[in-house]
Amino acid sequence: MLVSKDSYMYEMIRTELTDIVGDDNVCTRDADKFGHSIDYYWIPEMWHDRGMETPKPDFIIHPGSAEEIAKVVKVANHYHIPVVPWGGGSGSQGGALPVYGGIIIDMKRMNKFKGIDREALTVTCQTGMIARHLEWRCNKEGYSTMHLPASIACATIGGFLAHRGTGVLSTKYGKIEDMVMSLEVVTPTGEIIRTLPVPRHASGPDLTMLFLGSEGTLGIITEVTLKVHPQPEAREFRAYIFKDFHTAMSAGAELMRSRLQPCAVRLYDEEETIHHVRKVFGMELDKGAYLVFGFDGRKDIVDCQMRYAREIMEKKFKGKDLGSKGGELWWENKYKFFYPPFMFHMPQAFGTLDTVATFSNIEKVYWAMKKVVNENFPQARFIGHFSHWYEWGCMLYARFIFEEEYVPKDPREAAALYNRVWDLAIRAAIANGGVINEHHGVGLKLGRLMKELYGPAMPVLEGIKKQLDPNNIMNPGKLGFKGV
Amino acid sequence: MNIDNYTDAIKNCRFCFMCRHLSAIGNVLFTEADTPRVRAAMIYGITQHPEQLANRDFIDTLYRSDLSAACRYHCVSHFDENGLNIAARTDVVQAGFAPDYVKNIAAELKKSEKWTVKGSGDVLYFEDSYTAETKTVAKAFDKIMKKAKVPYQTVTGGCIGKALKILGFPTEAKAAAEKFAKVVKDSKAKILVVSNPAAYDALVHDYKEFGIKLSAKVMHTSEYLRTLKLKFKKAGELYYLESDFLKNYNDNCKFPRALLADLKAEIKPFGTNNEESYTCGEGAVVLPKICEGIVEKLAKYIEERADDPKKDLLVVASPYTKIFLTKYTKLNVKTLEELAAEHI
Ligand SMILES: Cc1cc2nc3c(=O)[nH]c(=O)nc-3n(C[C@H](O)[C@H](O)[C@H](O)COP(=O)(O)OP(=O)(O)OC[C@H]3O[C@@H](n4cnc5c(N)ncnc54)[C@H](O)[C@@H]3O)c2cc1C
Ligand code: SF4
Repeated sequence: MLVSKDSYMYEMIRTELTDIVGDDNVCTRDADKFGHSIDYYWIPEMWHDRGMETPKPDFIIHPGSAEEIAKVVKVANHYHIPVVPWGGGSGSQGGALPVYGGIIIDMKRMNKFKGIDREALTVTCQTGMIARHLEWRCNKEGYSTMHLPASIACATIGGFLAHRGTGVLSTKYGKIEDMVMSLEVVTPTGEIIRTLPVPRHASGPDLTMLFLGSEGTLGIITEVTLKVHPQPEAREFRAYIFKDFHTAMSAGAELMRSRLQPCAVRLYDEEETIHHVRKVFGMELDKGAYLVFGFDGRKDIVDCQMRYAREIMEKKFKGKDLGSKGGELWWENKYKFFYPPFMFHMPQAFGTLDTVATFSNIEKVYWAMKKVVNENFPQARFIGHFSHWYEWGCMLYARFIFEEEYVPKDPREAAALYNRVWDLAIRAAIANGGVINEHHGVGLKLGRLMKELYGPAMPVLEGIKKQLDPNNIMNPGKLGFKGV
Repeated sequence: MNIDNYTDAIKNCRFCFMCRHLSAIGNVLFTEADTPRVRAAMIYGITQHPEQLANRDFIDTLYRSDLSAACRYHCVSHFDENGLNIAARTDVVQAGFAPDYVKNIAAELKKSEKWTVKGSGDVLYFEDSYTAETKTVAKAFDKIMKKAKVPYQTVTGGCIGKALKILGFPTEAKAAAEKFAKVVKDSKAKILVVSNPAAYDALVHDYKEFGIKLSAKVMHTSEYLRTLKLKFKKAGELYYLESDFLKNYNDNCKFPRALLADLKAEIKPFGTNNEESYTCGEGAVVLPKICEGIVEKLAKYIEERADDPKKDLLVVASPYTKIFLTKYTKLNVKTLEELAAEHI
């Protein structure tokens, strides 16, 4: 922030902000500032773990409407104060961190459910709604968003839109960007705009897509209309163990090429099968790679899809059938992986190197990342699974883990080591047809690699940013854009 | 420090986001600070920088927690962020940093350690201050007991240790508990019946922790009333709001729903889920004395989730919840005792 707390200017700005949202909705308590100084990114967690100060916002605003946000943004432009949207803080890329201080706009008060259109099968809500609350609300009316990420309990809908997030049923129902009908956005200069009411049209380029994945750098998404679906009559899973990861990948790719439309496919490499799947399920599994998939919809159609899928798995790729129980176990435990102590946690150093590539490239990407991590950091473990599948390829959810004894105690050294892993691994992914990220976003963590990914196209993104945000107030220093 | 007994919760909760949707206070204040994650991280910070124990903002955050234990119940490993919070409060008190509002509440509670016993019989009914405040719950219990022709004694009075304990005064809580245990013993009752789930939890768990063995068997009214084997008229359609203490602290104990089954109640699901705490802060026991504004918000949050706030019948196990839902909303709320008495 540009003015110190001891300056009377601080009070002048606070007065303007409270005038907009009310006294109760401007927080400057230490506890709140602290709460907004650490998200799910490893670096601030480690910084705090080592007893270091984490960068804090100057003001935390809880707006109640797009109009209030627009006014706050105008004040911020007037004084050139950074504005950082915050949803649930569950982002793993540091996207919501107030690294330059300024104003955090915490979106959670904007949690109004605006209703379901039963003709079009859409739901409209404000974006501060926690995804679980939205899903529960839709369930009550017999529908589902089918957006079921592991962070459903803690992330807001706005956070998912801002990071192009994804859930466990993405293979059939899509990532969040496939679910959106239209958006309301407050631009960085404080205008309230709406994108077109339908996602398919030939009325110019797609503005909705411009804001999806913009991570709070191009504006604040305040309302969304999403598709909803009736709850399916049946949802069934089946799992297999394949002799190795390559065979399992070939079977999974064949399943996708068959266009049988599974709702979920997940493949764990040998190491993750042994160390993680077994631990979470509490089940003895043979050596090899565990693959699970499911179908949902009308029962008779699900039965038919399952029959054909089994033929692919068993006849063509000789998978060992773990039956529907082996599959249901995964569905029942799908979130358990993310609760402590099953999830990796401090004092370990860990990161999710998620990327995506075509079936022609995905194994190359996996091996290149694994090699670079193993060779440069023999003290680290590299594991991976493939969790979101498309007709043309799939997503690699690779992870590296350093046990406590290999993580430097000095926070600066720890951060340097951490960044080195990311740089090498992501460069290996890009070199083999992968990208920086598939569904967690770029944030602070990977911004420095954006130029390498986009090459000559990066100035196009920078030009859009400059045009929309002439004072560079919206979430500066994120997504590879300029800092303060 | 007391928080050192909760290193598991500190270590696991401080960067975990998985139960934030159940933070009752977080859901009405929209704050990050009022989540298990941030409270645990704050407490970790105190282990690194002990001077932060005196930070008034941190202290206020600890004291406005709803202590519903919905997070602990939800958590796959049941880490006890609730216990951690109470341990941190205790450290605050023991270090001499308790704010005046905490000291004043504690002083009042200590003054209330006087109990009056009336009546005769093997059953002793504890009418705690919240139950008494409803004015109707004890009457409903009396109606049923008369119908069942069971003579009973009543004990009325204040804090039996729970509120002091959760405020961070375990020694004083134990002293209150010992005094109450003596009152129970002197009554020669065989069964001690309580309507307030907080009192039930204190008598069942806290007393054990204090090393106090009660001379009477403790039963929640919903459990005791079933032993009378009474015939009830059909209660019909209603919503049942779980008690923090009976559900999250006592492994979802079955008596309230069993009593509702005896009453042939058709229980409709309230709101959108059965995980959130819809109690107005029952777990925090004295939250209205700390910050009544938050209690009002919690009540309104519940009202907004009713299918038809004007018509629905909401049944609660906790007199506390009835008091604050009635005070701040137009909802039609009855306790289990009241429902049972009406359908006898
Ligand atoms: C245990 C765990 C499991 C996870 N699993 C998944 C998963 O399965 N799938 C998945 O996709 N992600 C997952 N994540 C990551 C995280 O939940 C997502 O990135 C989510 O999108 C973040 O949402 P949030 O509301 O917490 O956003 P925050 O972390 O608060 O913010 C993320 C970014 O979005 C911006 N932002 C927030 N709200 C808005 C808005 N309304 N308008 C504009 N910008 C905004 C912020 O400025 C920031 O740049 C997981 C995280 C955790 C902790
Ligand atoms: S109680 Fe469990 S789910 Fe909640 S923060 Fe702690 S570890 Fe996470």
